[in-house]
Amino acid sequence: MWENRIRYLNENFARISRRDRVFLNNPVIATGLGLAPLIIAATSGRNALMLSAAVLMLLTPTRVLAGVVSRWVRFRALVYTLTSAVVYIGVYFAMKATFGVQISYLGLYLPLLVTEPIILKRYERATPERWTTSLRKGLLTTAGFVLVILLVGMLREVLAVGTVFGAKVTGAPVLPIATLPSGGFVVVALLCAGWRGAVNYVKKWVNMEAKKYQ
Amino acid sequence: MSEMMSSVSMFFLYAIAAVFAQNAAFSRALGVSRLVKLVDDSAADSAVFCLCLTLVQLLSAPLAYAANRWLPAGLGWAAAVRPLVLVLCSAAALGLVVLAASALRLPAAGRIAQTLPMATFNCAVLGCMLVTTTQSFTLAQTMGFALGSGLGYTLALLVVLEAQRKLRNRQVPGTFRGLPVNLLYIGILALAIYAFTGHAAAY
Repeated sequence: MWENRIRYLNENFARISRRDRVFLNNPVIATGLGLAPLIIAATSGRNALMLSAAVLMLLTPTRVLAGVVSRWVRFRALVYTLTSAVVYIGVYFAMKATFGVQISYLGLYLPLLVTEPIILKRYERATPERWTTSLRKGLLTTAGFVLVILLVGMLREVLAVGTVFGAKVTGAPVLPIATLPSGGFVVVALLCAGWRGAVNYVKKWVNMEAKKYQ
Repeated sequence: MSEMMSSVSMFFLYAIAAVFAQNAAFSRALGVSRLVKLVDDSAADSAVFCLCLTLVQLLSAPLAYAANRWLPAGLGWAAAVRPLVLVLCSAAALGLVVLAASALRLPAAGRIAQTLPMATFNCAVLGCMLVTTTQSFTLAQTMGFALGSGLGYTLALLVVLEAQRKLRNRQVPGTFRGLPVNLLYIGILALAIYAFTGHAAAY
C-alpha cells in the first residue's frame, strides 16, 4: 500500500505539484502573485484575517463569472477586471457588515484586490475554462493564498509586537521593523525561501523512498 | 500668474516625490508581482511595458480626478463603487493609447497592443488612482503624482534588473534564487528609502 503510494507520487510528482495550489505550487510562493497586500497590509493577524475574508469572497466568484462571460466577449482582460470590480461592491458591504470600521486598517489594499494578479491572472491564458474547473481552481488558489497571508500576518505580528491576534506570545518585540514595507519584503522573502526548501525536501524524500522499492 | 506657478511647482514636487520618496514599488509594493515576473522573464519587453504603464497612468489620472469629484464622499456606496469607476477610467485610457498608437502608425504598435492589458489592469495603475482620489489631490498634484508613479515604477524595474547579474550568482543558495532573493533586494532598497524619508508612505 505504502510502496504503491510512494511509487505513484514519484512517477506523477510534476503533475501533482502542478495541480496542488496549496503547498507544492502555492501561487504566492511559486509565482509571486498577490504580493502587494501581503507585504504592506498583512502586518497583523487581524489584518490578514480581513484580507483572507475579502479574497475568499472575491477570487472564486470573479473567476467563475468572468470565465463564463469571456466565452462570448473577446476582450478578456477587461471582462475579468470589470467582473472583479462588480463583485467587489458586494464584498465591500459584506466586509463592512462583518468587520465594521476595522476595514479602514487595510486602506487602499482592500479596493486594490480588484486588480490583484492572483484574481486576474487567468485572463492571460487564451483558452476558456469550464465553470467547474474555475470553481475548483479558484477555491484551491484561495486556500493557498489564505494560508500564506495568515502565516505572514501572524509572523509579522509576533516579530513586531510579540502577540498573535492580540494575545501575548513573547516578552518583547523581536523585530519592530517587521510592520514596515521593507520588513514585509524580508519576511515574505524568507518565508518563500523556507517554503521552497521544504518543497525541495519533500521532492527529494519521495524520490529516495521510491528508489528503495525499485 | 502666481497660482499657475504654484500649480507647476506642485506638479513637479509631487512627481519627484512619487519617483523617490513615495515610489510605487518600494514604498507601497504596488505592481511588485508584475515587477518580479518581468525581471524573471528574459523574453519580456520591459521598456514597452513601462512606456504603456506611464501613458495609461498619465491619461487615466485626469479621468479619475473628474470621476472622483462626481462621486460624493459622504455616501456609503462611494467607497464600494470607486474601484469600478477607476477601472473604467483606466479602460478609457487604454482605448486612447490604442487609438494614438494606431493613428501614429508606430512600428511597435503590435507589441504595445499586446502589452497594454497587462500594463493597464494592474495594482500600480489602480493604486496610483486610489492614492490620488482618496487623498483628495488637486489636478496638478494628481497629474504630477501619476507621471512620477510611472517613472518611479520604471526606475524600480531598472534598479532590480541591473542587480540581476549579481542576484543570479552561483553563491546565492538554491532556495533563495529567483523570487526570494529579488524580494530581499527590494526590501533592502525599501529600507534605504524609509531611512531617507523617515516615515512609511500612508495607505
